Amino acid sequence: MSSTPNSSVRQRLLYLHARTPSVFSEILGYTPVEPVRDYRAEITADVPDWPYQTVHDALVDGWQIVQFPHQQAPIDDRDLDVVGYEFILQKLEEVQDG
Amino acid sequence: MDRNPPAAETAAETLVEPGAVNGEVQPGASRDMSHLLTDLEMAGFIVNGYHLLEPDLPEGLNERIAGRLDGLGYNPGDAIAEVVPELWQVIEHPAVKGALVSLLGEDFEVMGHRHWHCKQPHTGHMSWHQDSTNNRDYRIDRLLGLFYPTDITPEMGPTVIVPGTQFRNAPTDRMATYSNIHGQVPMVVKAGTFALTHYDLWHGTAANRTAVKRHMIKFLFRRVRDNKAPTWNHDPDVMDVPTAWGGKRDDPKNVLSFGNPIGVGQSDHYKERQIRWKCWNNLLGADDALDD
Repeated sequence: MSSTPNSSVRQRLLYLHARTPSVFSEILGYTPVEPVRDYRAEITADVPDWPYQTVHDALVDGWQIVQFPHQQAPIDDRDLDVVGYEFILQKLEEVQDG
Repeated sequence: MDRNPPAAETAAETLVEPGAVNGEVQPGASRDMSHLLTDLEMAGFIVNGYHLLEPDLPEGLNERIAGRLDGLGYNPGDAIAEVVPELWQVIEHPAVKGALVSLLGEDFEVMGHRHWHCKQPHTGHMSWHQDSTNNRDYRIDRLLGLFYPTDITPEMGPTVIVPGTQFRNAPTDRMATYSNIHGQVPMVVKAGTFALTHYDLWHGTAANRTAVKRHMIKFLFRRVRDNKAPTWNHDPDVMDVPTAWGGKRDDPKNVLSFGNPIGVGQSDHYKERQIRWKCWNNLLGADDALDD
């Protein structure tokens, strides 16, 4: 990969919260993190169509999983905690400053 | 008027008409059930963790409240209802009281904490959170009341909630890697809407991209004691319907069993179902039979 004076190869992140630990299950949460200054992932009133319906869709598009969800069931299997199972993915891409 | 009225008095006023003489229900008099929630609305609240009301407020009240808020140069905190006393007309509206009696019992309490959430023009979003520490329990003990005196558009920074998250034991820090969640609901509402939400429901706000202030006044209500009997408009035979495996699911029994507002996985759904039924039975006043 080459870089220009105003760009560099950076780590793009994608937090996907899936229904189950399977990469084929549907996504319940979608949070992209772009490596540009002042970027913030936001809650929005109008939820845009997500480009991926599953973690596998993101893999097909070149994302790489850097953290898989923990799969140990809680000792008390009657309690609920966070929504979905968190996969963290990355893409190393040339990104423009801004 | 008492600015922090004991709800037992105000709720009782709702429930003894018509037929009350000097505050006492006469033999044969029936309760006014018209403002109590139905079984289906109660089941919907247990599943989703919120209920929207559009009370028929007096003409001009929303405008007067919004006008006062627009002109406030400071945030009076808990004293907001003293600075804007018209807010009591909202809290004491029969539809609001009826919903509170239904969910928290006839002697619910209007707590002293309240807050004016003024989302300034051109300000960013607020991340998912629960107020205070989470209180995960199958009982419905505390509610937030969110009042919007103006129309709220998607661009004005509406409150956004995630239905069904009220039973999750998830401290706010654990929500930090989420932004948009499947099934989230923005409070894009008409002026005068009063949203009752479970205290532990995940909520945040979108950014205000307009040049106007977005007003929301938050109230806090709590249950004083467990129910001995249902306090809503309950039909004792409401659960006497078939379980709709794969079928029609718009009755209270099947809403409680099969509702899945954000599409969680099977294990979470089964757990939710157990908690919902414990909640329902607790509200019926049948909690003694629930220990498992």
